Amino acid sequence: MEKVIIIRYSEIYLKGKNRGFFERAFETNLRRAIEDFDAELIKNSGRYLVQNFPEEQTDEIIEKLKKVFGLHTLSLAYETSSDMDSIFEAAKLQAHSQGTFKVESHRGDKKYPLTSVEISKTLGGLLLDYAKGALKVDVHNPSFTVRVDIRENGKALVFGDFIEGANGMPVGTAGKGLLLLSGGIDSPVAGHMMAKRGMKIDCLHFHSYPYTNMQAKEKVVDLAKILSEYTCGTNLYTVKVTHIQEAIHEKCKPDLMITLLRRFMYRIAERHALRISAQCLITGESLGQVASQTIEGMTSSNSVVERLPVLRPLVGFDKNEIIERSVKMGAYETSILPFEDCCTVFLPDYPAIRPKLDEIAREEAKLDIEALIAEAFESVEKIKI
Amino acid sequence: MVYLDNAATTKPSVGAFERATEYITEKFHNPSGMYNEGFALQSELKKARSVLLSKIADENAFELIFTSCGTESDNQAIFSFAKRGNAVTTAGEHSAVSAAFLELKNRGVIDARFAPLQRDGRVDVNALLALVDDKTSFVSVMHVNNEIGAINDINAIARLVKQKNPRVIFHCDGVQAYGKIPYKLSKDVDLYALSAHKIGGLKGVGALIKRKSLQLPPYLYGGGQEAGRRSGTENVFGIMHFRYAAEEKFATIKEDFNRIKGYREQLWSALDKEVYTRLSSEDATPYILSVSARGLRGEILLHMANDKGLIVGTGSACSSNAKHRYSKVILACGYDEKTADGVLRLSFSPQTTEEEIAKSAEILNEIGRELARKMK
Repeated sequence: MEKVIIIRYSEIYLKGKNRGFFERAFETNLRRAIEDFDAELIKNSGRYLVQNFPEEQTDEIIEKLKKVFGLHTLSLAYETSSDMDSIFEAAKLQAHSQGTFKVESHRGDKKYPLTSVEISKTLGGLLLDYAKGALKVDVHNPSFTVRVDIRENGKALVFGDFIEGANGMPVGTAGKGLLLLSGGIDSPVAGHMMAKRGMKIDCLHFHSYPYTNMQAKEKVVDLAKILSEYTCGTNLYTVKVTHIQEAIHEKCKPDLMITLLRRFMYRIAERHALRISAQCLITGESLGQVASQTIEGMTSSNSVVERLPVLRPLVGFDKNEIIERSVKMGAYETSILPFEDCCTVFLPDYPAIRPKLDEIAREEAKLDIEALIAEAFESVEKIKI
Repeated sequence: MVYLDNAATTKPSVGAFERATEYITEKFHNPSGMYNEGFALQSELKKARSVLLSKIADENAFELIFTSCGTESDNQAIFSFAKRGNAVTTAGEHSAVSAAFLELKNRGVIDARFAPLQRDGRVDVNALLALVDDKTSFVSVMHVNNEIGAINDINAIARLVKQKNPRVIFHCDGVQAYGKIPYKLSKDVDLYALSAHKIGGLKGVGALIKRKSLQLPPYLYGGGQEAGRRSGTENVFGIMHFRYAAEEKFATIKEDFNRIKGYREQLWSALDKEVYTRLSSEDATPYILSVSARGLRGEILLHMANDKGLIVGTGSACSSNAKHRYSKVILACGYDEKTADGVLRLSFSPQTTEEEIAKSAEILNEIGRELARKMK
């Protein structure tokens, strides 16, 4: 009898001729998730098994697997030979000491002498005798379920609960996006959501040293690390926008500081995305959350992005919904560390909420946009996560 | 790189390192060993203890316990004696003291009382005495303030406190004073905390000086080192290095004091008064000059100075959280948040040179003016 982990995938089964493409990506990502462990991954008729791992690493492996997109559910199972005595031994380990239960059986090996119903009946009877009255059968609302899966190789899998996975699609099956990662709560969640749909993510962070500090940058590195557990790795690029902010502050109307700065960020992001073959920009904006995230603010930012779509997966989310997801993905505690992620030194008291494009154009005409962008690009640093 | 953050830590003495090297290469034994090599180390530790103690206290009345840092020494003193009624300290303390007080308050062990500061950073002694009453078990007053450099007259304060309540245990955080300003402890001081790395020693070495007749309970239980009060195998190399570093510092303590005082005034007179306001008073420790570039942010200046080859300290952090952003000590001196936001702490060591002072003034003026212009 050996402990194994059964992995079931989600939407991939809906795929037709290109199913192999999705399965290969999923398998690659699963292998990556368990590469640090002494464990073996095998494919087994539409699902995967992790086996031959040290028992004390079980929880750690499960936690890793739960972060792989495309994984629907997993179960911790005992693999035994398929005779009823062995199945019963494994079922005793899955059964609770008291309460109600039922047995669900599935027969992959159609030559097995018992039908699924007979397997369930026989095993249920054995467990009832074994429990000496402490257990009762309830097929409608049991407190636990023992599941038996007879495989074609003469083995059986005996397991209990389904553990919910991350669902979604395998990362690497839906192109690559460049996430504008700030250091706050929203952007890691936005990246997480796009990775959930199979997108590979690289990150871009803007800093304004010396106005922001090294801890703020370190925090962004930590967030990228947290995100990378879901995105099968990522690259973090940082760009210094200090001189852009100083130029805006010196020459333009103070209430347009954020609007103008964001337009610079989007311009830089698009150019950088094209350089690294990313196919879209991803931001954590949510409509109306702050002054720059109005529809006018988004229009102003979008209008400088010429070739790529800007995806805003959080646009219709409330803050508390975003926080909930941030907590769930494990980023919240890091996101709320009190370091300034972008310079607040130049922030106006009253930023423009509904910036007008003609006014923006007038202000931008005072700046040498291309020279400032070229200078910012010289500061690009790549941090491998 | 010019280094003016010596109140945070100092460059370890190379001379002391050379003298102490044999405690790594040859005399590596455990001082508790029953063989000759162990005994020999015991007596060398005893000598080190005596050297370090005798610089500031009467060896007949006081003894010295080695610890791992100033914070441990402060914590040992506070958690051992602040056990009932109320305990009084100042609003200017290092967090090694203030956080321990607040912890004891939160546990419901003591009523923690904080005496206000004067504008120059010294504790308001009358206000402190007003907080001491029959129920006061413990008083802790720092010797030299680590942010603004103010020197409290520790012997006088201890005497006044004991006059008001003779049962009080009086502790002093002497981390920024030892080896920098000349003094001797009076018998009114019961406990006194030191740290090696503030005077050219190593991080990871500290000491707690105590009046001999005071019964100090064990802080760490184990093999019974430090006469049972602080178990754990002694950091022999670190302790010997501390001893040699202290010997170097004390040999020239008065000359250094006067020379550094001259440097401090030289630096201040060279700084642009349009940008900087002075917070440290003239009778503060010469080793710390606290200034504020009011209206600018200290941490931005720190980064700019860093890029130009000057390392300084600051009183504020680039935090979006107001609670963490402003130095509570600077606010306790009565300065506003704008002043607290612009604080730079320039701190010296005997190694600081006149050229470095001139260069620092130049850099500070340049970056101060530059940032002021940009922020207009």
